[in-house]
Amino acid sequence: MNKSLTELKDEELIKDFQDSNTLEAYEILVRRYKDPLMNFVYRFVGDRDVCTDIVQDTMIKFYLNKDSYRSFAKFSTWIYTIAGNLAKNELKRRRRRTIFSISNNDDEKTPQIEDKMFRSPEKIADGEIRNEIIQKALLKVKPVYREVVVLRDIQDLSYEEISEITGLAIGTVKSRINRGRAQLQKLLKHIYKE
Amino acid sequence: MKTIYNENETKNSKLIKDLQNLPKVKTPENFEYNLMTRIKNKNFGKLEEEKQSFNWIKFLAPSAVVVTAIILLFIFLPSSQQIDNPLLNPAQKLDSQSIVSNSVEVGSDLAKKNSNQNNNSVASSGNSGSSLNSSNSQNRANTRFPLSTTGSVSLDDYISGSSRQRNMQRGNIVNSGSEPMPYNGFFISEKPDQNTLNKYRAQVDSLRKAQMKADSLKKALKMP
Repeated sequence: MNKSLTELKDEELIKDFQDSNTLEAYEILVRRYKDPLMNFVYRFVGDRDVCTDIVQDTMIKFYLNKDSYRSFAKFSTWIYTIAGNLAKNELKRRRRRTIFSISNNDDEKTPQIEDKMFRSPEKIADGEIRNEIIQKALLKVKPVYREVVVLRDIQDLSYEEISEITGLAIGTVKSRINRGRAQLQKLLKHIYKE
Repeated sequence: MKTIYNENETKNSKLIKDLQNLPKVKTPENFEYNLMTRIKNKNFGKLEEEKQSFNWIKFLAPSAVVVTAIILLFIFLPSSQQIDNPLLNPAQKLDSQSIVSNSVEVGSDLAKKNSNQNNNSVASSGNSGSSLNSSNSQNRANTRFPLSTTGSVSLDDYISGSSRQRNMQRGNIVNSGSEPMPYNGFFISEKPDQNTLNKYRAQVDSLRKAQMKADSLKKALKMP
């Protein structure tokens, strides 16, 4: 029985979870989506511990609101929407905290990528540092653009899926992706200057 | 449109490649264990509370705004558009509306009716038809003019002197009668036509002459 469940599609698994309320189907779905969601939230929010909490909350929300899922939608887009909303809430909370924080300096707002200019080119070429720089630059991009860029270029989702997740028109999704890439390119100009 | 996006993709191909090659971040090993213990212990934290209180806020806040807006609309909108004169009662309001439209007609109608009345009274003083006619014309006049019935006066009685007005508070004593005229609102004043004025004067003169004749006849009859 358990073997057959693992072979089921996401939509069939959630149907099974909705009908029989058994945890096996739920656990399989958690196993399938925990890492993609973690990757998406980490690239969007940045903090590993906070991201773990967000993904946990996403799974709890999925458990509590399983009946709000409708079979005509893709399960992947539904769970990405939940995770995306929770991640946006976290960003809003952070913004509020920075507004009311007394110790907030303007120096913190300046892009830290600029510091990398002082590193030697050999070090920039190093993969790990390069990835770190890209991640930091990604977090400097406006959240509305960042979300779609992460979904498209990192999570490798289609425009249609992104449109469903964000609730935006495909044209808007495309233009936001391009704007996000342009911002990122600008922030990483010292890497891509050639 | 598509070509623009394709051009952008080729332009940013290096960046896209780097983004795709970013290492995949994974959840910690104890993630599932923690999740399942939370579910088994029903430790949902804020998520369950949000679920309960969320609907109330979502429903009450906009509905309160809508209800307030409707109440304000009912309070302020009619008063600003309909300026009612509290001194005018509905009947008078109707009459004041009719007087504007019929102001030109009234003059000529009255003249005709008065001349009829005059002819009747001169030709046969004891004729009951004349009194009927006069009362009819009076009624019609009353319905057309925005004056109360208590404020009207019989023209015959006024001329004969049987109902001399002692109240001189009001300028227009003929219209107001014995009682002080109530406030009747404002009316459009029109300059009287000279011809109509002459007609009225002639009618009043003829009435006076007729009255004098009638008086002289009465005196003659009383004389032995």
